[in-house]
Amino acid sequence: MASFLLRRLLALIPVLILVLVIVFSLVRLIPGDPAVTLLGPGATDAQIAALRAQMRLDEPFYLQFVNYLLGLLQGDMGISLKSGAPVLQEILLRLPATLELAICATLVAILVGIPIGVLSGTRPNSIFDHFTRVFSLVGVSMPAFLLALILQLIFATYLGWLPVSGRLSPYIIMQPITGFVILDGIITGQWDIVWSAIRYLVLPTAVLAAFLAATLGRFVRNTMLEVMSEDFIRTARAKGLTRAQVVLEHGLRNSLLPAITVVGLKFAEMLGGAILTETIFAWPGIGRFMFEAIKNRDYPVIQGTTLVFSLLFMLTSVLVDLLYGVLDPRVRKRMK
Amino acid sequence: MTALVHFLRKNSLATAGGLVLVAVILAVIFGPMISPYGPTKLDVLNKLQGPSWAHWLGTDSLGRDVMTRVLHGGRYTLAIGMGVVSIAFVVGVLFGTLAGFAGGAVDMIIMRVVDAMLSFPALVLAIALAAAFGPSLNNAMLAVAITLAPQFARVARSQALAISVKPYVEAAVSLGLPTRRILWRYVFANGLGPLLVQASLSFGSAILQTASLGFLGLGAQPPLAEWGADVSANLQYMRESPWVALSPGMAILLTVLCFNLIGDSLADWFNPRRRNEID
Repeated sequence: MASFLLRRLLALIPVLILVLVIVFSLVRLIPGDPAVTLLGPGATDAQIAALRAQMRLDEPFYLQFVNYLLGLLQGDMGISLKSGAPVLQEILLRLPATLELAICATLVAILVGIPIGVLSGTRPNSIFDHFTRVFSLVGVSMPAFLLALILQLIFATYLGWLPVSGRLSPYIIMQPITGFVILDGIITGQWDIVWSAIRYLVLPTAVLAAFLAATLGRFVRNTMLEVMSEDFIRTARAKGLTRAQVVLEHGLRNSLLPAITVVGLKFAEMLGGAILTETIFAWPGIGRFMFEAIKNRDYPVIQGTTLVFSLLFMLTSVLVDLLYGVLDPRVRKRMK
Repeated sequence: MTALVHFLRKNSLATAGGLVLVAVILAVIFGPMISPYGPTKLDVLNKLQGPSWAHWLGTDSLGRDVMTRVLHGGRYTLAIGMGVVSIAFVVGVLFGTLAGFAGGAVDMIIMRVVDAMLSFPALVLAIALAAAFGPSLNNAMLAVAITLAPQFARVARSQALAISVKPYVEAAVSLGLPTRRILWRYVFANGLGPLLVQASLSFGSAILQTASLGFLGLGAQPPLAEWGADVSANLQYMRESPWVALSPGMAILLTVLCFNLIGDSLADWFNPRRRNEID
């Protein structure tokens, strides 16, 4: 397992270098002199010269890239042009909020998507199955911002059951320990904080989870259909197992494996959706941070957040491969 | 033709999607011609009116007819879908076919770049690129096309790999035909099916992503009646006049849903394992 992990991580290196080239090139894609564009109108020649020197724009492209890499290795993602603080520090401050949202949404999507898929996969062409198919197609065709607005309008504006936006009631003051509000609330035993955080979490989670649940439901349905026609299912039935045992222990277990890949792949798309969701719900994560950086033309922050999103995606794909090994003995054997 | 009829009869959802899509296309072509209003014609005295006979979907904060704007936006949206998918198709297929046919170092380099581009969440990369290019509809379309191209490259490469070992390609090579001609006449032409499925599946994402960029202010700029931009421009009136922002949003949903219904059924159709299930 350890050697598999090592090989998997080593294989990531060439991809990672290319990812870094792309992220690095982003600022260089800006038409004109990056320093002039970054500082905007009204910058003095001295300021422009200083920024050119700081960004080493006078050096050749490959040297600039090497310096960028060396900086990254020391945790230097540059300085935010807006706040003047190190980009990495600003990102780490906001990362827990995004992770909290993404993890909750993934859990909800799994809890909703897999049962839906199993139910319609074991009853193909039933009314429930048709309903699932339409639900999942609407789910993947729905712009995240539209679903967010509709949910906000119904549950926050009209019914008043849930808060419109934010992460925690403005009347609650708390010292962050881990940065994960719910976890912090549980650690310190402040259940009012936990309750408030959950209320704020419901709508953005629903928006992010909808897309993943729809994709997952459809995928599990199709794999269930295939698995349930396999010989070992017939054997299990012939042994006299109950329907529930056949479906859960033999059918589901074998359809779960490909489903994990889908969750991993779609996790990335969900991170993209987080930019829209966080912006609409004023969720203080890195998605909204990136959106604000775009409005402010804060390119070091755009670079940093793009890189972090990509790293999260790559880590997820490694994690998915490892999970594969845990769940499938055949794969585990090959990993050794 | 009989294959098409058979396909439509077996795929009621795809047929429904196709019919609605035809209706949408007709509406956005002829609707603006019939509508008595212009998409940017101001009428501030009648701003934020609810749906009525005069204004089927009401008016926005500047008194513009929402229905007219949605219909005009549809023209942009369909053009965006076509434009983005075409660019992604040409770029992706070019590199993918080359990689699969040439093999070796060329294949390695092209596919590593493809892997790297697929290591970004698509929307994140599109947003970052659009931010670098500068906010405009053309730049947003280019950014989305760049993020979709790697998927075409993947499909084209696997097609080229499978086809380049076929006897007719070997025959063409031994006849001394120019590589460009072999690629075009044999490799590309014979691998077209799955690429067209990929194209039909990409339409939905192309429209969704460009609309998302528009929503974030990185795509079409006002007063252009693009759907995504129109949703975000009317957010502040959500409470009193939700139809103004929701109408273009629902139009996106409807159009993307139609494309996905068709693309989905086509994908099933081209997949032999699933095709038996449908028949």
